[in-house]
Amino acid sequence: MEKVGIVGYNQVKLYSDANYGRYEMIFEAVRGAMDKAGLKKKDITTVISCTNDYYDGRTISNCYTVDVGGGYMADESKVEMDGAHAVLYGLMRILSGNHKLAVVWGGSMASCFPYHSTRLYETDPTWERPVALVNDITACGFQMRAYMEKYGVSAEDIAKIAVKNRKNAAKNPLALAEAQNANVTVKDVLDSDIYADPVTELMVAQPCDGVAALLLAPERQALKITDKPVWITGVGYNQDTYYLGDRDLSKSNSMELAVKTAYNTAGIKDPKNEIDVAEIFEQTACEELILTEALGLADNGKGANLNSEIGGELPINPSGGGISGNPPCATGLIRIIEAVKQLRGEADGYQIKNARKAIASGQIGMCAQNNIVYTLEGGN
Amino acid sequence: MGRQVAIVSAGFSEHASKRSDVSMPELVSEAVEDCLKNVPSVGFDDIDAFVNGNMPAFEGSNIPELWMTDWMGARNKPLLRVTTGGTTGGTVAIAGYYNVTAGLPGIDTVLAIAFEQQSQGDTAVGLASVALGEISILNTLGLPYDQISRLLSGGAAIGVASYQATNYMRKSKITEEDLARVVVQNRRNAAKTWWAHLKMPDLTIEQVLDTPYISYPLRYGMVCPASDGACAMLFTTEEKAKDMCDIPVYVNGVASVSNTPAILGYDGSGAGQLDPSEQLGAKKSSDIAFGQAGISFPRKEIDYAEVYSPFPNQELMWVEQLGLFEETTAPEMYETGVTALNGELPVCCSGGVNSTNAIGASALERPAEAALQIMGKASNQVPKTVHTSIGHGWGGSLNLVTLMVMSDEPQRKWR
Amino acid sequence: MTEKIIVANKGMVRAEFNFWVGRYVDKFYDGLEQKKIIGNKCPKCGDVFVPPRKICGKCNQTISLDENWVDLPDTGTLVNFTITPYKVNDKRGRKAKDQIVSMVNIDGSNTSIIYNLLNIEPGEVKTGMKVRIEWAEKPKGNPSDIKGFIKI
Repeated sequence: MEKVGIVGYNQVKLYSDANYGRYEMIFEAVRGAMDKAGLKKKDITTVISCTNDYYDGRTISNCYTVDVGGGYMADESKVEMDGAHAVLYGLMRILSGNHKLAVVWGGSMASCFPYHSTRLYETDPTWERPVALVNDITACGFQMRAYMEKYGVSAEDIAKIAVKNRKNAAKNPLALAEAQNANVTVKDVLDSDIYADPVTELMVAQPCDGVAALLLAPERQALKITDKPVWITGVGYNQDTYYLGDRDLSKSNSMELAVKTAYNTAGIKDPKNEIDVAEIFEQTACEELILTEALGLADNGKGANLNSEIGGELPINPSGGGISGNPPCATGLIRIIEAVKQLRGEADGYQIKNARKAIASGQIGMCAQNNIVYTLEGGN
Repeated sequence: MGRQVAIVSAGFSEHASKRSDVSMPELVSEAVEDCLKNVPSVGFDDIDAFVNGNMPAFEGSNIPELWMTDWMGARNKPLLRVTTGGTTGGTVAIAGYYNVTAGLPGIDTVLAIAFEQQSQGDTAVGLASVALGEISILNTLGLPYDQISRLLSGGAAIGVASYQATNYMRKSKITEEDLARVVVQNRRNAAKTWWAHLKMPDLTIEQVLDTPYISYPLRYGMVCPASDGACAMLFTTEEKAKDMCDIPVYVNGVASVSNTPAILGYDGSGAGQLDPSEQLGAKKSSDIAFGQAGISFPRKEIDYAEVYSPFPNQELMWVEQLGLFEETTAPEMYETGVTALNGELPVCCSGGVNSTNAIGASALERPAEAALQIMGKASNQVPKTVHTSIGHGWGGSLNLVTLMVMSDEPQRKWR
Repeated sequence: MTEKIIVANKGMVRAEFNFWVGRYVDKFYDGLEQKKIIGNKCPKCGDVFVPPRKICGKCNQTISLDENWVDLPDTGTLVNFTITPYKVNDKRGRKAKDQIVSMVNIDGSNTSIIYNLLNIEPGEVKTGMKVRIEWAEKPKGNPSDIKGFIKI
């Protein structure tokens, strides 16, 4: 695969209820990324956006964002999945040779709609939807129980992940204020409001307002735009079947298949030792363990034994992960940005030393039905 | 960088105003089966990735690909969803092209699927909610929602189209008869297309003009139907295409340049596009796509065109703005038979969007039919040999455009 | 200095949807009206689906509408469950009475269906226990005909 570099990025501070509008937020993210990279509007040839009609409460949610997203008179398109999937489409546009700079942005305002009950609309309208028992939270409840019963992992071990991510978020200035809990304990997590037993409130990635953007360029242009380009060395994406009853919820089949492609392309044979940092989009603390194992960073059922703290053997989500804030359609994109920051040495306050190879992932669907994962290198 | 991409097959489901016999996934599986039927050497194991799209407001289902994974044959395969409103099909086709040309390891053959089952929802509400945020802002400022909504959703998007039509008519002095002629040509063509919706082999201009106005200059008899249907196209590399079909159709140029929205600006500000019949986005898209395909004289070098025109005035406008005919000459081209089945530059021999409009799918059906004409396999096949054709789509607030240029000869790219 | 005023606008747009279920699920709904569970079987791998499906996802095989139907009992095994005080379609996120949402594998099928467990205390629920469907008094031929599952 030819080298494509991430040459710039920007992310707005996440709020649970931002007091400015979506167009201003999109402009801040995209224009900020361009300014930081020293580029102008005329340099943009293609823009890929990531928004969701149901989350924005309107049809063709991208047609009015053409101006603020930098897409005026540019070859522009929209992906309706996670921001990380929009990066994939941007990557394909660069690899085609037709474009020399791709802007990828994504995000939404979760304060403007009831996120968890809107997730019901992804379900089968002829069967699950009328009964109205399945949304992302109840599905995560099934997932956590399946994982705990299969491997005998305790709720305390899973709560430790939530504690880690919330403490990490406290070091991340752009994280959601409600997620920045420097002094949270395992007991706090287990005692918090039960969303769907055994999943509690502090284990869940809270939906919020936010937009993020990043810039992609082919190798030659990337080396001219920045002296710290981060190369995408591999990517894999895969979608499981819809039916929760057909899937083994204690593992992530689609992530295992996706990361196999990514590792093969990047030439990574021993991920546990070769990867320095991972930024994974997890909807709940338990999902982080399941995805860690699917990524080959820990053996099945042993995710809780891995020291994934910032100073640990393999730091996972030093920014706080999805738990640090989940702006729908931007969270996976923010994971990629956080991995880029680590490789470029720009993660002030939560920097992993000597980070050379990173993983970033995004997902959509119930219990991570569709996963996408990138392997990244460079930045120095 | 960037491999040559070929289209080897296109398939359709039956289109009707109510496909009540199938659920959404089953509708999509019909198009997938039809597409794979034409390439017997390709099985589900040979498909490396999927691209999918529709306009989700019409069915009340968010990201429906999650539900219909198995029905597309996409279980445990890479899948990407793209959607841009009316141009969704065109965006899906372009994404299918980019999937293959990017050359990601293991992704050579890609199935692109677009669909819509409009009978499940309320088309008028789905279309009006394009500008819901902006309308509600105007409402807050004191402008009554009713008046604006009449403009935007008068008969479902017709208000917007008639605004575009009056702008065009100022420049081009067309008559209502010219509009009716376009409709008659499309509906008679649809009668010979197996999957089309409104098949009217004996339609006359008088019959079209004898229907009441919805919004000047558009009459009931002129507007497109709301259909249920799905379409699928198979993209692959140049090497693999040779073994899959007799005449692979090479994708030589793609573009989807967006303009600023017409009629309303974002956040209730003024519109940036004053004359929506000018379509700068289409002009730039055709420059880019024709440039990539090595076409300098579209009028002479393009043998067949499928343009996206739910309303007849748009067909006249598009064939000019895409560079196929000189400005203001389009009505004459229709009158003298240049765009007819056996004319010099046939347009929309499948009946076009005017006869079948499953909104998510219709912008994919345009490149699909244009590709089938090159392969010689279209149901309403033109008699002359088609070497180069184009498939086009528009959408959004009159600001989104997609264009795909195809040919039976690959265009060697210079980098 | 000008003060920033934020105006919020509330309104309701009504959009009604009616979903076509297709002929496979239509037959399943007919079975529900008779208090019967009908599934169908993939001719290639033998997996039994409830509700019935046109395509087997594993084999990419179309299952014909005329045959491959399987009558299933209304008993099953509890494979997974969760307990939640939040109603999924309550947009305001208000708490209600605890409901035990369960995934049940109907005997003879290869997938699970999701309904509430009724008449049981949360502490008594164990995965692996046997359950039976509690039917509605007057089934109408739609998913609400199954009120939930009860322990047997």
